[in-house]
Amino acid sequence: MKPRYYLVVFLLVIPVQASLLSPLSLGSVGPDLALALLFIIGLLTGPLEAALAGMALGLLQDVSAASLIGLTGFTRGLVGLGAGLLGRRMFDLTNPSTVIFLTAFSLAEGIFISILLQLFYGSIPFWNLLFARLIPQALYTGLLGYFLLQPLRDRKIVLALKRRVIQREF
Amino acid sequence: MPGFIRKNKRSVVILILFAFLFWLVTIQVKNGRFPFMERPVLAIAGFFERIIAAPFRFLESAGTRYVYLVRTERDNGRLRQELVRLQIENSATTELLTENERLRALLAFKKQNPPTAFAVQIIAKGNSPASSTITINKGSDDGIEKDMAVVAEDGVVGRVQAVLPGTAKVILLTDPGSTLAVRVQRNREEGLLEGKLGLCALKYVSFYADIQEGDLLVTSGLDGLFPKGLPVATVLRVVKHEASAFQSVTARPIVSLSRLEEALVLRK
Repeated sequence: MKPRYYLVVFLLVIPVQASLLSPLSLGSVGPDLALALLFIIGLLTGPLEAALAGMALGLLQDVSAASLIGLTGFTRGLVGLGAGLLGRRMFDLTNPSTVIFLTAFSLAEGIFISILLQLFYGSIPFWNLLFARLIPQALYTGLLGYFLLQPLRDRKIVLALKRRVIQREF
Repeated sequence: MPGFIRKNKRSVVILILFAFLFWLVTIQVKNGRFPFMERPVLAIAGFFERIIAAPFRFLESAGTRYVYLVRTERDNGRLRQELVRLQIENSATTELLTENERLRALLAFKKQNPPTAFAVQIIAKGNSPASSTITINKGSDDGIEKDMAVVAEDGVVGRVQAVLPGTAKVILLTDPGSTLAVRVQRNREEGLLEGKLGLCALKYVSFYADIQEGDLLVTSGLDGLFPKGLPVATVLRVVKHEASAFQSVTARPIVSLSRLEEALVLRK
């Protein structure tokens, strides 16, 4: 996908997540649409493109949330890279196990951010954060990912996309 | 080595970008956050946020209005009785206020005016996993300025971080970049409350200070941003380490930040 399409998609995902998905939040736990989308991009494109897409998405999220610029860019880049590497080894993207990987990626990103914040600012209540926010959020994001992957159930679409990626890489 | 780099050019670029992002974060942790990119991205995201949220807000408000109409008659009777009671209380309070002003004048106390406020609606919640922010539906056009205090009926919510003509970004108490001067209401011990994603930590409290679980933390007014005495958080856990000069105090915000729909922005 061309960079400008990524930019448009990401600029739409940020407000959709911020305004439309916030009523779906249970307490401070809400599904992470941006992460689920990035995970699917990673599965369909490859590690390098997904890492770049993840960095761009994370940077936009950091700036739009008035957060530490680069922190989410860094972690989302890693998620994109991981999802891209995973996509190379998976041929059935609609398999339910994919959702487990998405949940694991969401949890790993949350833990990684907590560790970084602990390093930078100290005294992060890690266990509280893990059980009250990170695990429920990862499960919720996995559930959202399951619904997002449903349109890809048509194997023809997946195979066509895969073929395109393989052709580009070799 | 150059051959390896040439062969893996794209991977090397990605690696450099990761290193650059990490360096960017460490620079901000050391010197403070960069505000330079906020305006353009906030303008674009804020524009979409308002468009996307508008139809849902309309439906929500239509539904709420209908429910209100049904409740109005029942509330009307109750409010009439309440009005009578409050009128009696008000006359007594006016008496006390007059007496208070007279006594303050006698003691030459500086008069403190109650802050005026803008009522705002929360139109979006922050979507970065590393921060806690919200977007409000008023901005510089309405008189909102950077660093204005944001409160709800129960207590402090956060402060305005970035302002655009129609919207503003509010950094919540629980954001890792948020710091607030507070004191323990019970014994006036002072500290600095920092955001810790969902909870807060009270920093720089002496090892010997008497802090107990359940203590109420209120604004001390020393940061010059918040008026004195607003409820902020309750102490959740106190841990004393023999090796440290300070206590480790975790606190939970009074306001339920995840369920917040409306707030007040206090004029400076």
